[in-house]
Amino acid sequence: MSTTAKQALVLLLGGIVIGGFILRLARKRLLSTRYAIGWLVIGGLVAIAAILMPFVGRLGRLANMTPTAVLLTMSSVLLLAISVQLSISVSLLQERLRTTAEAHALLARRLDELEQRADH
Amino acid sequence: MSWSNVPTTDAALEGDAIRHTGVLVVIPAYDERECIADVVGEVGSAGFHCLVVDDGSRDGTADIAAACGAAVVRLPINLGVGGALRTGFRYAVDHGYTTVVQVDADGQHVAEHIRHLVAALDDQSLDMVVGSRFADDGTYPMTYVRRLCVRVLSFVIRRSGKVGITDPTSGFRAIRSPLLGAFAADFPAHYLGDTFEAVLVAARRGYRLGEVPVEMRERQGGRPSADLYALVQAMLRACTVLLTGTTFDLPARDNDRSRP
Repeated sequence: MSTTAKQALVLLLGGIVIGGFILRLARKRLLSTRYAIGWLVIGGLVAIAAILMPFVGRLGRLANMTPTAVLLTMSSVLLLAISVQLSISVSLLQERLRTTAEAHALLARRLDELEQRADH
Repeated sequence: MSWSNVPTTDAALEGDAIRHTGVLVVIPAYDERECIADVVGEVGSAGFHCLVVDDGSRDGTADIAAACGAAVVRLPINLGVGGALRTGFRYAVDHGYTTVVQVDADGQHVAEHIRHLVAALDDQSLDMVVGSRFADDGTYPMTYVRRLCVRVLSFVIRRSGKVGITDPTSGFRAIRSPLLGAFAADFPAHYLGDTFEAVLVAARRGYRLGEVPVEMRERQGGRPSADLYALVQAMLRACTVLLTGTTFDLPARDNDRSRP
């Protein structure tokens, strides 16, 4: 068995494990559907990368890189993109949480004022 | 800028009591149970309406403030000074106040100076007045590193905002509409966004800023909110603001009706 074939097999197994893990998380409702689908797509991409190993090898030869280096580069870029996207989501959520907390506090105060007025 | 036309004697200010009806003193408080009662009492006896924005305290600060007769808004989670202030600004706008004076809950600000800030707003038709520890005689005790940081921040505001504010991290400020309304709509929540960045952006967007010398006491209790690490953050913020521009939306001042 050639090195490339071994790598492809490992990648394929990796993709299946990721897919199974994500499905399990989604079923336990630890992951919302939106992110579950996103990660399943990534698992799928890993599996496809495994099937396309010979192609990746050719691509690597063009850029004078080993297939391993090509895969590592691609996955680094992908992970960076995912982290940035998640940071954006978290920033947005923080801003929404802040606005909601402020509105909550002001409404609670308003309710207090109205209750006090109703008591008199 | 000059402070020569700021009335400083009590007699000169006595007639201004009627102005204070539109003024709300906002006190952002986070775990300040040792000081909050004194601060609320001091502001009340200075003759101002007082709102304590409890920033998710877990030590009963809100209950103490309410027992002392302050209006209290309780944030369910800790948002930081910026979030607490924006809540206070919104409350002020909703309740028809036109001026907000921000006072720290740790007792380092002297309530007697509130009227000086408000008077400076009126007399010099300014949008924001900062109470400065350094404008006076520079005797306020401060570590060397901290003083250096403040100088750099002040320099940035002078160069970029074209206004001399010697104490841009001061949490003792008076803000009047239309700036108050703009801050109620959007106000930075991250560290030092509420002080340095708000001052810088307001200056850049054409609002008129000034400062008044005030004395400040040492903290009366609690723990300092700004340590060395935080100041390093502040310097980084100053750099990022200069590189990337502002992080919140502030409409430019409508200069057609700026001069009364």
